[in-house]
Amino acid sequence: MNEQAPLLELTGVRAAYGPIQVLHGVDLRVHPGSVVALLGPNGGGKSTTMKVCAGLLPLTGGELRLAGRRVNGITAQDAARLGICSIPEGRGVFPNLTVRENLWAATGTGARLADLEEAAYTRFPILGERRHQLAGSLSGGQQQMLALSRALGTDPVILLLDELSMGLAPMIVTRMYETVAQLVAEGLSVLVAEQFARAVLPIADTAALMLHGRVVASGRPGDIEDQLSSSYLGG
Amino acid sequence: MPLLETRDVTVRFGGNTAVDGVSIGVEAGCVTGLIGPNGAGKTTLFNTVTGLQRPAAGRVLLDGADVTRLAPAGRARLGLARTFQRLELFLSLSVRDNVRVAGDILRATGRTVDVEKETDRVLARTGLEDIAHLEVSAIPTGRARVVEVARALMTAPRVLLLDEPASGQTERETEAFAALLTGLAAEGLAICLVEHDLPLVMRLCTTIHVLDYGRLIASGTPKEIRESPEVVAAYIGTEEIGTEEVRREEVA
Amino acid sequence: MTSFLTFTILGLVLGAVYAIAASGLVLTYTTSGIFNFAHGAQAMLGTFLYWQLTYGWGWPMWLSLVVVVGLAGPAMGALLHMLIMRGLRETADVTKIVVTVAIMLGMVYLSQWIWHPEEARVTEMFFGANAKIELGGVVVRVHELVCLVVAVAVAIGLRLLFTRTRAGVVMRGAVDDPDLLRLNGHDPDRIAMLSWAMGSTLAVLAGILVTPIGGGALEANQLTLLVIDAFAAAMFGRLRSIPRTFTGAMVLGMTATYVMAYFPTDWTWAGNLRVSLPMIILFVVLIVLPQDRLRVAAVRTRERYRPPTPRSAAVWGAALVAAVFLLALLLDDGSITTFALGMTFAIVALSLTLLTGYAGELNLAPLSFGAVATITGFHFGVTGSGLASRLTLWGVLLAVLVTAVVGGLVALPALRLRGLYLALATMAFGVFLSNMVLRDTTEHTLFGVTFSIFPNGTLIVPPLQVGPFDLRDPRTLLMTATVLFALIGVGLAALRASGYGRRLAAMKDSPAAAAMLGQNLVKLKFGVFMLSAAIAGLGGLLMASAGGSVSGDNFAIMSSLALVMLTVVGGIGYISGALFGGLVSGVGFTIMVGTFNDLATAHPSMESIYKTIGQLLVVATALIGMGVGKNPSGTVHDIVEGYRTLRGARALLAGAAAVEAVLYGLALTGVIGNWWFAILTACLVMALPVAGRMRAAAPVRRTPPELAGVAEPYSDELRERLDRELGLPARERMAKEASVHAVA
Repeated sequence: MNEQAPLLELTGVRAAYGPIQVLHGVDLRVHPGSVVALLGPNGGGKSTTMKVCAGLLPLTGGELRLAGRRVNGITAQDAARLGICSIPEGRGVFPNLTVRENLWAATGTGARLADLEEAAYTRFPILGERRHQLAGSLSGGQQQMLALSRALGTDPVILLLDELSMGLAPMIVTRMYETVAQLVAEGLSVLVAEQFARAVLPIADTAALMLHGRVVASGRPGDIEDQLSSSYLGG
Repeated sequence: MPLLETRDVTVRFGGNTAVDGVSIGVEAGCVTGLIGPNGAGKTTLFNTVTGLQRPAAGRVLLDGADVTRLAPAGRARLGLARTFQRLELFLSLSVRDNVRVAGDILRATGRTVDVEKETDRVLARTGLEDIAHLEVSAIPTGRARVVEVARALMTAPRVLLLDEPASGQTERETEAFAALLTGLAAEGLAICLVEHDLPLVMRLCTTIHVLDYGRLIASGTPKEIRESPEVVAAYIGTEEIGTEEVRREEVA
Repeated sequence: MTSFLTFTILGLVLGAVYAIAASGLVLTYTTSGIFNFAHGAQAMLGTFLYWQLTYGWGWPMWLSLVVVVGLAGPAMGALLHMLIMRGLRETADVTKIVVTVAIMLGMVYLSQWIWHPEEARVTEMFFGANAKIELGGVVVRVHELVCLVVAVAVAIGLRLLFTRTRAGVVMRGAVDDPDLLRLNGHDPDRIAMLSWAMGSTLAVLAGILVTPIGGGALEANQLTLLVIDAFAAAMFGRLRSIPRTFTGAMVLGMTATYVMAYFPTDWTWAGNLRVSLPMIILFVVLIVLPQDRLRVAAVRTRERYRPPTPRSAAVWGAALVAAVFLLALLLDDGSITTFALGMTFAIVALSLTLLTGYAGELNLAPLSFGAVATITGFHFGVTGSGLASRLTLWGVLLAVLVTAVVGGLVALPALRLRGLYLALATMAFGVFLSNMVLRDTTEHTLFGVTFSIFPNGTLIVPPLQVGPFDLRDPRTLLMTATVLFALIGVGLAALRASGYGRRLAAMKDSPAAAAMLGQNLVKLKFGVFMLSAAIAGLGGLLMASAGGSVSGDNFAIMSSLALVMLTVVGGIGYISGALFGGLVSGVGFTIMVGTFNDLATAHPSMESIYKTIGQLLVVATALIGMGVGKNPSGTVHDIVEGYRTLRGARALLAGAAAVEAVLYGLALTGVIGNWWFAILTACLVMALPVAGRMRAAAPVRRTPPELAGVAEPYSDELRERLDRELGLPARERMAKEASVHAVA
């Protein structure tokens, strides 16, 4: 299906928090223009995998490749400047900065504030209305919109989304993924880690199931979906 | 009557409600599970029960006594013990001393304990004798989790709260650990287990409480929990669940 | 009314300077989590540099200002961050504090080296002291107006920076979430560097502005402490809020001025009160701060100590007493008294081994507790008069007891808070004691009793006499101090090995876990602080009596800080670390500088070189202190680890002992001088671990597979090695884990 070289590739990646090893050899590929959904119960290593891809956590083994280049040990700021836009778990916003200041901080990758503001306020008019309000005082959904706005205006190569749905009402989650789907339609590649499989499977090209720090299955979303409840809740 | 009880406990961080009116009970002599997706409020509830976090509303009862305003040390003296998700071992002490110090504290609070004898007993009970002399920084995570349990057991607790005790354990270690918990419960200890390894939770627990968005969405036996559409929705998604899947789980 | 207005303006001016200094402190603390004790020293260095350029070399004032405030200030901050502060992330609070204290001391030593402290230097007010303007009937000096204007400009400037520039917005973001900042493509290190550069500039600015107000004379210690007054203002803003810091600074400045203006002039202590007011206020603010929440996931610190068993501590204690006895045979009476003085400092340092090494809390003013004991002993523990006067045993016991109680009272308000606040409280107490109590030299009459706490600025503390046991004899004094040190040391080792010691270690390693086992943390901290204060009191009283007389300067906060730093450098978890810290800070400095000064006098042609070496050594000790960030376990730990390789080498050890015995024999019979003996012994001590390492380097011991994961940590490398040795395929994790179990 994908003839091109993968945009982001993890081979046998291991990572640990201090003495606690969390990833035991993760293999994962994201091809250009595709959406990969990383599924599985919490504690499986999804968030850790996302942190490794974003450069926040160093690898203790294996290989991380970006567009074919080995980038083990890359710092998060360099990864961001290379076009990896990562929206971390639990609100990727600065609560004590205003909406506009959050967008301003997002220009660290070289984007222009005016462009970012325009993209964000066009897509999410509510953010425009509240541009001078502290991000911490926004509702959960609005905060997530603000976080997602970073992906809109900075023209990233790949978007990493970690638990976009956490703590959000189902309706908002659906709207969030609609936005992601539009970005994908414009050609963006996405790696998304998500507990709520149903929310993300419709837009995913590939799904990978993570358990105990390994990818135990990957393939068409439909196939993976069938395995989900048993792996979540035990047999 | 449950030995440990929360009544309408609510915890807020700024404007966010992390735990929203949760009432659960933990009975003596069995293992009670507390599960839910990431960010559901499990650890916050644990912290509230142990006194590391003040609730905005609601009460925590230990054996019928209101302990909501009591400091962690005071609750510990009433028989509440816990382990930590991120290991909180005493890194400058050996495995044995990590366990022994709990007895030292007990004795300092006026309890008469034979610390040495009790330490030996607990180390034997938890199967840590072979590594008792080692520095805790030198042992694998899976065993370090057991050291935390052993340390908690030294305080002769009535209620034991375990925060993800199986994470970092190998399958063999988890097996031994499950047997230990079953045994402890059989001796009359009330155990509350937060754990991501749901098959383990399903196997050990007689009652399971499920949190989602800080709310209690289900309580029941493992079978009831597995069949609860709300729980499946909380874990996997919000759409309607095909009956086919539920049936498949039953078979499995 | 006019005078009230005048005083109000003076108060505002003082507040303005405090505000400038304090906002710099808050800036660096919020962005890097490091409370910069060297902030005052930076101000001091900047002010000296300004004096050098303007008055020393006669540059135009505007040019010096541009160079000092515009270039040197930011450069100093940026360099500090790059060289030192960046490496302090994820170290214990104690390490952070000690490193910045070391920087502060290093800067003070450096300035005293460059600018000889006995020469007088004065900076004048901007536009001269006589340039005045009348505003609504109140006469204000132009310099004072400049201070106000600069403070307002700093306030507006910071406000604009934080809201109108990207750099400022990003700085605020760094406080919220540094990781998210990195995901946005920013480098938190660069942001922290910027904030250190700005903080340093603000410190320098404050120093230049405040010096002429305080009379204009430049004195390194005083200037350093003057800006430390700003700590209280920063505490008003809870080290976070700049507007509240400004408010606090103004309250501080005005209170200080009103105390000076309106307290009756016959209250001789009003002046002292004014000086110590910021420290009193700092104390009050600490009391009203809300309690910290117990945090889970304590810092995983890198400090590691192997506590000795009581038995080995006893052996080493006996060895120490024997060694000191033999050494004393080589020395004359004067040197023995100096040595004894050093030993009393080492006893004070033991109080830190207990408090910091075992319990993880910090006392920045151990000598001030020594002062409390000395004052008590002087007033209530002396019998006889003139040459026949003696300190009684009961006097010593009373002094120690009073010190313990005072220690408890000082620590009480800060015990609910994090370690940094206890450190600040002790420092506030130390400065307060130096300013208020130790300067209380005049007589008061209270309830019909006429007394003064520190008569004539000097206390004559006679030696202790118990029965026939007279400490007037230097040898008896030295041996008593040594035996006391050894006894307390062995006692501490026994304490550490007891249930109490384990509880202290538990509290230090994880307060949350200790609390969850039923430990009342406040009670435990309170008890250990009192015990530690008692030890410091005993050492301080002995120190006073060893010297015969003491002045307030003997207990100055700078000496306390040097003692703390050197004890940490030696190894805060070790009794020998206390011996090192006590000896070096108590008498080592004096000996070093003295020796090289003697050499310089003896060899006039080499004078400047010898003097430079002496000064360099002093500055070098502070450099070692800054290295604590890299090596938090201390020097003694390294030496002990070095000697560990020698455990099996009996022949080597016996040979070394024989060589040492011969050296001693030669020294005793006068064949070689004491200096040669010292130098050769030092060479021997240093050479042994090297020899041991060479010996150990030959065969590399490998853990046999059956002990894998038991005798050594269970790492990835180990798993891979096991896989190789078992001939397993590398990537099949499940199979591998099972087989590891089969083996382990």
